[in-house]
This record gives sequence, structure tokens and C-alpha cells, in this order.
Amino acid sequence: MSVLLLRLAAPLQSWGTSSRFTRRTTDRAPSKSGIIGLLAAAAGRRRTDSIEDLATLRFGVRLDQPGHVERDFHTARPIDGSAPLPLSYRFYLADAVFLAVVEGEEQFLTTLHEALRRPVFPLYLGRRSCPPSGPLTLGVRNQTLEDALAGTPWQASPRIQQKHRAATVTLDTAVDAPLGEQAQDVSYLVQDEPVTFAPEHRQHAWRTVIAGQVTLPNPDYMPTSAVGDHDPMALFGAS
Amino acid sequence: MTRTIVDIHVLQTVPPSNINRDDTGSPKTATYGGTRRARVSSQAWKRATRDAFTAMVETAKLGVRTKRVVELLAETIATRSPAHAERSAVLAKTTLEAAGIKLKEPRKKNGEPPLEESAYLLFLSRAQLVSLAALAITAAKEAGDAAVVVDKKEAKARADQAHSIDIALFGRMVADNTDLNVDAAAQVAHALSVHEAATEYDYYTAVDDHKRDDPEEDAGAGMIGTVEFTSSTLYRYATVDVDRLNDNLGDPAATREAVETFVRAFVTSMPTGKQNTFANRTLPDAVLVLVRETQSINLIGAFEDAITDRDNGSRITAAVGRLADHGREVHEAYDEQPVAGWSVGVGERTAELGELGQRTTLDTLITSLGDTVADRVQATL
Repeated sequence: MSVLLLRLAAPLQSWGTSSRFTRRTTDRAPSKSGIIGLLAAAAGRRRTDSIEDLATLRFGVRLDQPGHVERDFHTARPIDGSAPLPLSYRFYLADAVFLAVVEGEEQFLTTLHEALRRPVFPLYLGRRSCPPSGPLTLGVRNQTLEDALAGTPWQASPRIQQKHRAATVTLDTAVDAPLGEQAQDVSYLVQDEPVTFAPEHRQHAWRTVIAGQVTLPNPDYMPTSAVGDHDPMALFGAS
Repeated sequence: MTRTIVDIHVLQTVPPSNINRDDTGSPKTATYGGTRRARVSSQAWKRATRDAFTAMVETAKLGVRTKRVVELLAETIATRSPAHAERSAVLAKTTLEAAGIKLKEPRKKNGEPPLEESAYLLFLSRAQLVSLAALAITAAKEAGDAAVVVDKKEAKARADQAHSIDIALFGRMVADNTDLNVDAAAQVAHALSVHEAATEYDYYTAVDDHKRDDPEEDAGAGMIGTVEFTSSTLYRYATVDVDRLNDNLGDPAATREAVETFVRAFVTSMPTGKQNTFANRTLPDAVLVLVRETQSINLIGAFEDAITDRDNGSRITAAVGRLADHGREVHEAYDEQPVAGWSVGVGERTAELGELGQRTTLDTLITSLGDTVADRVQATL
């Protein structure tokens, strides 16, 4: 099995899976429908085109820098001065970085990697006003989804890595449950498995997710060696 | 396949102001790189950009975004065929419904009963309105005194051709007839300050002039209040996918004009919030426009670590330096080479952007960009 790795970073991202009407929420992690939509846009598929091949990719995500939720208040008014539209609240994830991984057949993933490098449609992280900061794709690797999540270096910004004063860091993950997984191993369900993006009848199926954690080395960790040798009691001649 | 993508980067200092506020009246903010930044939403700046279009291109090339489409089409019908003026409202309604646009009774107001409205804001180009009006007039003539029948296929086709440049750039969503949707070719990011920005409070008193002149009265203020404001140097970013724009417009000459108009309007416009209170109109300190053929690249990463007093020189010098360095580093790391680039800046302190894009003036930048875009669109035909 091969994987395609994506680094999702931007000042603002928004991944809604249950937004309705004037309250446009965001989940704490990228949704599968959002990522499949991103890949489809890069490959130049129209909303009505089939996404069956994309939806069969196994999906997992790692919360490298969880960020936090910001609320945005939004008004809209027609240009002719007629009655204003309903007020709405939009929620964004600010200052977050994620590693998103899709697992599938190598040849197919390589075409998707190329498409992300030269996308046909403009790409964004959940909402059009959230263009990614820095290139998205980290390339295709020959490994499993689980190995990619456990083995890819920590993608948080250098500032966060330096502030983290430990040799390792533990990050949350959420991955698609493999087919036929025992029900008790499934952590939760989320309705973000895209069936079709066709605007007349957009459909999402329920997806079974296993929540987990991985522990990675912190590349910015610098052990302060002096601490172990210092003995304040030595002055008193005690031993 | 040749691709053409135009990235626009702007550094702009805005003095004490409150150009975009939330429901409590505070200037909008967002955390980035661990520090609180001033923010101007993408929607606010898109609106300002679109408003600026009206001064730059003929109205005929722009769209109207309104719920009162029946009224608008009826007026167009009445102007073009005064003989049908009396029936214009009915004709307009029939034609719009034939195009698949759902109409409903608006909320009652005082006076005469108002015309039907669309359920949501509908974006129609002037050319589409004229074309739909012509269809309605023809149908009315054919029908004579009988009930007017408008060909559905034709009505739908006319609502989906000749998009205005603002529809092509910003998109259109028609909830109950998705065939009429247009995907936006331009993307605008939320503007963020390049430094940590605090919100400040201005306490004010307002004098009651008439009371002050009355010797019997005390000298107290007629009203007191506070206004919140912030002051910031913003990084603004927008990108235009020229190929998608050309798909939407279907005409290379219109595409060129749309790109030129968008760049000028985005660079020189400003949302109008509390404009009269703060007179905060400024022009950007520096503008960088890059034409790419692979992906669009947002350079906000240059400011993930907020600029502080420890950075050398003024805030603008530091911001320009960061933008130039980050742009160069990203280009090197990912073997990205822009096809063309131009920069515009105020004073020597913005000269460093000349490394990424040839230094020039805004007018020359826009003309050269227009030439490049026209050549490249022509090459794909």
C-alpha cells in the first residue's frame, strides 16, 4: 500500500461536517469530504463527476498543531439597498497544522500528487477564503496509513516545536476504520464520507473513525545536560 | 496545458480605524503564529473590491446582486418596449420562472403590494437582464392577448451566458437551479496584520451645543461612549485563476479586462467601515504581483512569527524584507519559478521586492500584466 501525505497549514481553515443555515461550524480536524473535494478540485473534476475512486481511498489525519476555534460574525446586504440577509456566524480553526494521509494504489496517488502541484481548480482548506500557506503535498510514500502517521516528522511550526520542552510529542490521530473492523474498536461516527458533490443532491454517508495517538520525536528538543550534575548540597560537605 | 495564475500580495498600513467589526463592535481579529492579529474578513474586502469596479468599467459589464429581480427585469422590459410596460411585471415573473428561478412574496411593507422576490440574493449580469428582457418581449408579441409562454430551455440558456466580470470573478450560487451556478475564479484570503495588534478604546464625550449656550444649565456632556479601534500593517493576498476566469467569461478580451480591473480594484480599495470616524483611507506601501503556471502560493508564512520591535528598521522595511526572503525561499525549496512578476512600492524601503518582481508603477504593472495574460490566454486557444 502507498500513501499520499498532505500538510494542511494556514492562518484559518474550516472543516464543517454538520453546518446548517446561518451557523457554519468547523470540526477540530479536517473532514474526509473536504480532503476528497480538494483532491477532486486539483484533478479538475466537476462537482457532478464521479468520485467513487477517490472515496475508496482510506483516510487518516494527525493533529500536529490543533489550533483553536475562532468565531466570525458575518453580515450581507444587497447592493441595491433592499432588506439585508440573515446574520450568520462562521467558525474557523486558527493557527492549526494537520497531516492528512490518503492510502491507496501508488500509480493513482502519484497522479493526485502531480495534480496538487498543478491544480486545475483553485484549492482551499475547507472554505474558499482559506488558501493554504505553503505547498500542500509532501509526496507519495510506500507505506501504510498507520506507519505514515507514526513515522512522518512533526509538522507543527518551528515556534511550537521550540516551545515544546520534551524529547517527544504525543499527537491525536483519527483514521478510517478498516473494512470489517469490530464495532467496539470504532471510536465515533462522522457524516463526511462523500457520495457525490453534485450540487442538486450532495450526499455524505456515515464514516467509522478510530481515534488514536502517536508519539514522535521532537526535532527541536535540546537536552539541558548540566541539570543532572548540579548538587546544591555539595557546598555543605554532605554526601 | 499552459496554466495562468495571478497572485497578488499587498502590504498596507492602516492607521487607527475599525474597517471591519464583529457583533460587539470590536475590530475583527484572529490568532496566527501564537499572537493576536488584526483581521479584515475576505468578504469585506471582496465587497469593497466589487464596489470599486463601478468606477472602473461600464455598468453594462457588471452584474447586479439583488433579491428584487422581478422589479429589475420589469424595468428593463418597460424601457426596451414601452408598449409592454403595463404587463412588464407579469412578463418578468414568467420569464424568471421559466429560467428556473423560484420567486416568493416578499414581506409586506407599507403602501402598494410589492413585487415578488427571489428567495436569496441573485447575481445577474446586465447583459443577461437585457437578453432575458428581449426573450420576454418576443414571447409577449407572439402570444398577443393569450397567456405568455416562455421557452424554458432558452430562458435558462440566456441566464447562463454573458456573465459579467464580477460574476466570473466572485461566482454565483443559485440554490434551486444549480445549472446556473458559476464557480468563482478569484480567491481572497482574510487580511491579517504582520504584527501583534491590540484593540484600543476611545472614550468620547459629545457636547450639546444648545444646552451649552444656556447659562442656567450645567456644563455636562450630552452623550458619552466608546469606540473600539486598532491600527495595523496588513498582509493582503488574493489570487486569480485566469484559465477558470476565461472559462466563465468565454472571451479573452473580457478576461484581460477582468484581470486588470480586479488587480486595480483589489489594490486600491478599502472597506468603508467607520470611514467617516477615522478617515483611514491609505494606499498600499507595497504591492507584488506574480504570474505563475503551477499553483498559487500564499506567502502569509513570512509573518507567522509576528514582526516585533526587535526587527530592524521600520515595520514596513521589516515586512518587505520578510516577504522577499520568504518568497525566495519558497521558490527555491519547491523549484517554483514565476513566469513574470512586478512590484510597486512607496520609497526606498520597499526596494527589496524588486528581486521578486520588476519594480514599476501601478499603471505599468497593470498594462504589462494585461499583455501577459492576453498572450497566455491566446496561446491556450
